[in-house]
Amino acid sequence: MSQPTHIAIRQVEKVFGPKTALRDISVDIAPGTFVVLLGPSGSGKTTLLRCLAGIERPTSGEILFNDEVVVGASTFVSPDRRHLSMVFQDYALWPHLTVSQNVAFALQRRGSNRDQIAEKVSALLHRLGIDQLASRFPNELSGGEQQRVALARALAAEVGLILFDEPLSNLDADRRESLRIEIATLARESGATVVYITHDQSEAYALADVIGVLSAGTLVQWGTPENVYREPATPFVARFTGLAGELPVHVEHRRDGRADVTLLLDTPVVVRDCPTNTTVGDDATMFVRPSAVQLHHSASGSGFWMNITDSAFVGRGYEHVGVTDGEIRFTKIFSTERFERGSRAWVTLDTQAVYVMNERSA
Amino acid sequence: MNYSGTALNERTQRVASSALLWIVLGLLVIVPVVTFLLTAFSPRMFHLGPQWISFHSFREAFQGSTGQGIADSLWVSSAVGLCASAAATALAWLVQRTNMRGSRFISGLMWVQLLIPTWMMTIGWTNLIMPGEVASAFGFNTTRLYHLFYGPVGIMLILTTAALPFCYFVVSAGLRGLGSEFEDAVRVHGGSTVRVLRTVLPIIAPAIMSAFVIAFAESISDFGVAFTLGLNDHFPMATFTLFNAITQNPANFSVAAVIAGVLILCTVPPIFLQSKITRGRSYAVLGGRARPIRRHQFSGVTRNLVTFAVFSVLIALIIIPLVASLATSFTHTISFETVTGVHWSLASYRQVFSPPPSIMSMGAGLALSNHLGLYVATGTVILSYVLATRLARTSGGLSQRITDVFLLGSIAIPGVVLGVGYILFYNQGFIANHVMSLYQTMPLLAMGLMASAVPGQSRLLVGPVSQLQSSMIDAARVHGAARFRAWCSTALPILSRTLTWAWVLTFTKTISELAVAQMLVVPDHEPISVILETTLGTVFAPIGVAATVLVLGEMLGIIGLVLLAYRVVAPRGWRRIGTIGELS
Repeated sequence: MSQPTHIAIRQVEKVFGPKTALRDISVDIAPGTFVVLLGPSGSGKTTLLRCLAGIERPTSGEILFNDEVVVGASTFVSPDRRHLSMVFQDYALWPHLTVSQNVAFALQRRGSNRDQIAEKVSALLHRLGIDQLASRFPNELSGGEQQRVALARALAAEVGLILFDEPLSNLDADRRESLRIEIATLARESGATVVYITHDQSEAYALADVIGVLSAGTLVQWGTPENVYREPATPFVARFTGLAGELPVHVEHRRDGRADVTLLLDTPVVVRDCPTNTTVGDDATMFVRPSAVQLHHSASGSGFWMNITDSAFVGRGYEHVGVTDGEIRFTKIFSTERFERGSRAWVTLDTQAVYVMNERSA
Repeated sequence: MNYSGTALNERTQRVASSALLWIVLGLLVIVPVVTFLLTAFSPRMFHLGPQWISFHSFREAFQGSTGQGIADSLWVSSAVGLCASAAATALAWLVQRTNMRGSRFISGLMWVQLLIPTWMMTIGWTNLIMPGEVASAFGFNTTRLYHLFYGPVGIMLILTTAALPFCYFVVSAGLRGLGSEFEDAVRVHGGSTVRVLRTVLPIIAPAIMSAFVIAFAESISDFGVAFTLGLNDHFPMATFTLFNAITQNPANFSVAAVIAGVLILCTVPPIFLQSKITRGRSYAVLGGRARPIRRHQFSGVTRNLVTFAVFSVLIALIIIPLVASLATSFTHTISFETVTGVHWSLASYRQVFSPPPSIMSMGAGLALSNHLGLYVATGTVILSYVLATRLARTSGGLSQRITDVFLLGSIAIPGVVLGVGYILFYNQGFIANHVMSLYQTMPLLAMGLMASAVPGQSRLLVGPVSQLQSSMIDAARVHGAARFRAWCSTALPILSRTLTWAWVLTFTKTISELAVAQMLVVPDHEPISVILETTLGTVFAPIGVAATVLVLGEMLGIIGLVLLAYRVVAPRGWRRIGTIGELS
């Protein structure tokens, strides 16, 4: 087993013709960390991953693995010499090789003999529950099976860095959930540093030790999942990482990073002790996470009325959609009780899951 | 863990490999052809006329029959491109995607057709419909058909038939790698068969456009058909007027160079059209995730009707004229039917092995051609693959466009132009005495043959190469394979079938290539094509035809051997590509 890779990215930029895909990315990834790069399509996360893999070369900047430069002004270490493995979005299984040959490919660079390779492949396939598929070709496998083979191939070489390029995006929800758990378990068992990219915030929260949020080629936030959830750095991060809704507010008082604000609804409502980065007197926005919203059948405490427009059973309870009297829309509001479509509900907010900031926050 | 010792400047490597590639292409094609084209402006530069700079030949080239030749070549080649690519697409779809019977036979027939030189097809049609020949022997009056044949109709018929296999293989490769999910998507959204075709055809648009441009360029550069069929009906084609300009006394190289330049320029619009249609789209479908293909199931009667119709057309177009051309090898007279009837005989075949003293040794010529074929095919496949990978990039920009225009322009270069260019450039005093003395040597002949094969092969390979998903090689690289090993372990197996076919095709085409071989022939070392051509023009024509039949047999034997070797040697996974999981 190789030691986990320490990654240092220094002012990396990547330009494709007129388009800048990455702008001034600088970050340090501690060995053994599971990092999830989160961002919408075109945010640059795949480009950054491919720069780490050596498939793309940054236009400028440096990348260091274990304090050795792999990309620099006059240095470029090719992908095969970076001691890493990768799970591709389209799996990239070689169609002319069987499952066991695909997995064995990654072991050949370790100089193991044939018996050792066979033994290792067999053990790994067994671990992933696909040992019965060993002699099949990729085209004879389902999407989930192909992804398991790709995962086995990435784990086989026991490298210090494993890269995942949206590995679950082509799978159905059930398979996605089970494979996500396997990836989390097996990648952590391997001890390797992991860089995983996705556009799915729930996947990111579930997997990451650290989340990096990318927008238009810029790294806009780098922090733990809790940090990203509770204190989004920008309105973009807040919106992209899951909101129930947004409310206009006026900041009345502020102390120690928390503020009392007035919700600018038809009937103004005061909400106390909200986390914020604003200053007193600002007109700002309250970004409300789904877990902050509580529905009640009658008015109780500081809150406001909402018309329920949709109610969906999700097993453990109901998810609701509602509109305030001022036509502000809220979604993903969970309650163990069903609130019927057309009914009115009293809404209160848990200030642990809201964040107040200016639209122009960056 | 050590990452050091690998700090290579990739940009320098890329620039160096690009430079090397363009030097090779320069020596093979660009410099000789440009040398020839320069004679359009400056005849004196190559001691071909008195003027240093003259534009007189431009006016001359666009007047009279030469101007008419250029116009004729343009419209005939466009029509051939359309007909051949449309027919090939329909045929490829029937063979690859339906349960029509005899698909193996059709693929085999395409190979046979690919091997037959156009002059042989012309002989076949002539033997068939000329009054007094085969059709007359069966009681048919073919006088009107015969006159119709000697003109644009006959030229288009032969050139379309000749281009059909090229187009068929290109489109088939595109269809073979395409899973059935696109068809299924149309079907489940209520799409009819027509709608399926309208959806799937644009997906294989690069292959269809490749087919069109190859057919167009091959037709515009063809000489044999233009010479034999266009001559008698005052339907001049550009290659014929070009040949006339070179061979008349005194030779007019300047006008020939202008015509050659126009032929090359004519290929720009199809390329422009192709890039316009396919710009920025990715056609990478060959990879581990390609879904199985499903064949359209014709009902019993329809299946038989479709099979009968396709077979009838192909037999009429290929087999009957082929048989008619072979018929003369089984007589010992030049004409098929004499006043005393048809006299069948194997004398011509016997004389191939013990020829009269006035005929050159065919065994030595065939051995030489096989040797040349071996080297030329290997070199061509390597160079063509490199060029195809450059063309297949979706973000290649200007360099890709230049390569594309260069290659397609090169397909349109008639062999005779290439030959004259080689002679003008490599026989110059300075080059021959101070740089490299290659004139009238075997390496120069091999270079010329490669130069004539590389452009077409590159275009043929673009379709399959552009279908290879880039993640195949990327995956090998990130899992520890160096550049060459990554290519050998991923791209090579996936494309092995295509590359094998490309090698076989080039090998056989090299054996039958005539124009370059004739112009660059090494004295006393004539390739078989030159010997056959010489023999066919004499009273020993039946021996020539018999020898041609034997040479074709040898080519088919070699194809069979190579394909057998592929089946035996190639691992099972390699052979599955293209047929993976096919649901019949």
